[in-house]
Amino acid sequence: MRCLLKRAFFYLTVIVAFSTHEGAAAKMSTYYLPKSVGAWTRPDSAQKIDSTNIFKYMNGAGELYLSYRFIRLEVYEYTADNEESILVELYYMKTSDDAFGLLSLDWGGEPVTFDHSPVSKASRTIAPPNSALYGKGLLRIWSDNIYARVMAERETPVSREAVLSLGRAIVANRKNPSEPKLLDIFPHTIGSDWKLRGDRIGYFRSYLVLNSLYYLSHQNILNLDLSTEAVAAPYEKITDNEDHKRIQFLFVKYADSAQAQQALDHFHKTYLPEHKKDFGAGSMSASPNFFKIEDGWLGYKLHGPCIALVFECPDKRSARMFIKQIQFNLIKIEDNHAK
Amino acid sequence: MPNKQGLITRRDFIRGTIGATLATSMFGVKWAMADEKAVRSSLVTVVRDKNVMDANFAVDFKVYQKMLEQTMIQFTGKNNSKDAWSSIIKPEDTVGLVSTEHLNPTHDELVYAVKIALMDIGVPKKKIKMAQGSHRRARACTALIALPALKAHWLTGIGTVLKNYITYSGSPSYYHEGNSSKLGEIWHLPHVKGKTKLILVDALYPLCDKGPQPDPRYKWAYNGLIAGTDPVAVETVCLKIITEKRKAIRGEPWPLSPPPICVEAADKVYGLGTSRMEEIKIEHYGWEQGLLL
Repeated sequence: MRCLLKRAFFYLTVIVAFSTHEGAAAKMSTYYLPKSVGAWTRPDSAQKIDSTNIFKYMNGAGELYLSYRFIRLEVYEYTADNEESILVELYYMKTSDDAFGLLSLDWGGEPVTFDHSPVSKASRTIAPPNSALYGKGLLRIWSDNIYARVMAERETPVSREAVLSLGRAIVANRKNPSEPKLLDIFPHTIGSDWKLRGDRIGYFRSYLVLNSLYYLSHQNILNLDLSTEAVAAPYEKITDNEDHKRIQFLFVKYADSAQAQQALDHFHKTYLPEHKKDFGAGSMSASPNFFKIEDGWLGYKLHGPCIALVFECPDKRSARMFIKQIQFNLIKIEDNHAK
Repeated sequence: MPNKQGLITRRDFIRGTIGATLATSMFGVKWAMADEKAVRSSLVTVVRDKNVMDANFAVDFKVYQKMLEQTMIQFTGKNNSKDAWSSIIKPEDTVGLVSTEHLNPTHDELVYAVKIALMDIGVPKKKIKMAQGSHRRARACTALIALPALKAHWLTGIGTVLKNYITYSGSPSYYHEGNSSKLGEIWHLPHVKGKTKLILVDALYPLCDKGPQPDPRYKWAYNGLIAGTDPVAVETVCLKIITEKRKAIRGEPWPLSPPPICVEAADKVYGLGTSRMEEIKIEHYGWEQGLLL
């Protein structure tokens, strides 16, 4: 009995500890950031921004953060005599996936590893294995549900060290979740020679972000919103004459099958208006569809709440191969979940 | 074949039918599908000086002022800067200087240099206004000088010349996203039309990725001042510089996304100028390295 009580107490402690961490993460404030770093000092409190005043803070750039599930932003300006300031922006997002999405918009920069960040991203194999990237004074970090930007107005060896120290403080003792599960759909290679460009993979929920990764239309023709999640990435084949051929792959998961069907209807009507004869709910659901358009072959397939689309395929055969491979992966993942 | 709904897609862009698609959606709008003149030619000058900024990107005002003088002489064909300014601005004008405030702001040094040049030809200081931000400010001016900084933009592709007047619409957010193609119509509004006497693009330290927030990796010392009176031609030259820089950074084509459809629309729908490089005469003066043109 005593043993059982002890065990129950242990589990209770673990649960409380985790829930406290979640709560602390949600309320994270100056507590996590040092008052001073090198010659720089921050004010006692942060400037707090939410969805009601984000446009006032950053003009039209606010659209980006609202395109993910944005909760709030905390801003700290570190200042020092005779030095340009360092700006710390902590974007609190609803989930780790949202914060990952913001980092995924640009995988460029020098990868940074912080000693304190627990290495628990064993399953991260699709996107580049970096959660912090530095370049010319700007450090971008994905740390659990936080996306952080730490930027020195002027990069010097000293400001670089200060920026990295702040990065270290931001990630300290925070969870280090895996990349979004939706990325598992993307194989590293398709066929014998189409290779994923992992450094161009992007995770998003909005057509505005899709358009910044791969332009389809200035309108929301795939009905993307905060309830959807999507991944876009190109695959490349390098031919004998060093020519790079590229296929763009897009995968969208909707809240349910009905929404996916509606979105595909909308996409087809607006993007492929001349292909009316191929259009019909039954045929779309039953088998993949392929169309020859201006920039190559386009293929799509509806699979429950998901739509897989390929663009710019050199021929119908490659479009079919991509769709088949993705369908295979989907079924495999579903089977694994069912086990 | 233009999309009947006037909805622009990637396919329109590839087919080169942005103008036709937009015109379909704007049927009845008085400036839609402006007549293309048989022969068009627009002059754009690019003046660069290697020494206008130091290693820390601090601007040498004297050098920038000289670049402005050279630009005016180059552009107008006059013998000196004073005559050049007098040929486009009258002392009785109320002159609005329309600089950029966000993302990659216009250098103050350029604004000061223009103010000094204007006062030098007799425009009273009180009649030189900072005119960015409100249509009321544009209304109060008889002449406008656009002073945008060279930059890409994440919602409109490029955010330099055409977008510089977005606040004159009274509803800037309307012109983001899909409606960015309509940025050209702002230049036709009664309080704007015909007032722009000169466009001077501050291209000292441009931003070639679209943001939405500045990323220093995508800023570089171009050390240039770009000028013209045709907003579409100047924008087209800016676009060329940004596109070439992006390609150089990644070592592979890295097109702006979303594509800057406002440029072609400003030409083909709103008739504001030419977006065809073959119709643009580029006169370059100064530092050659990294010209990207």
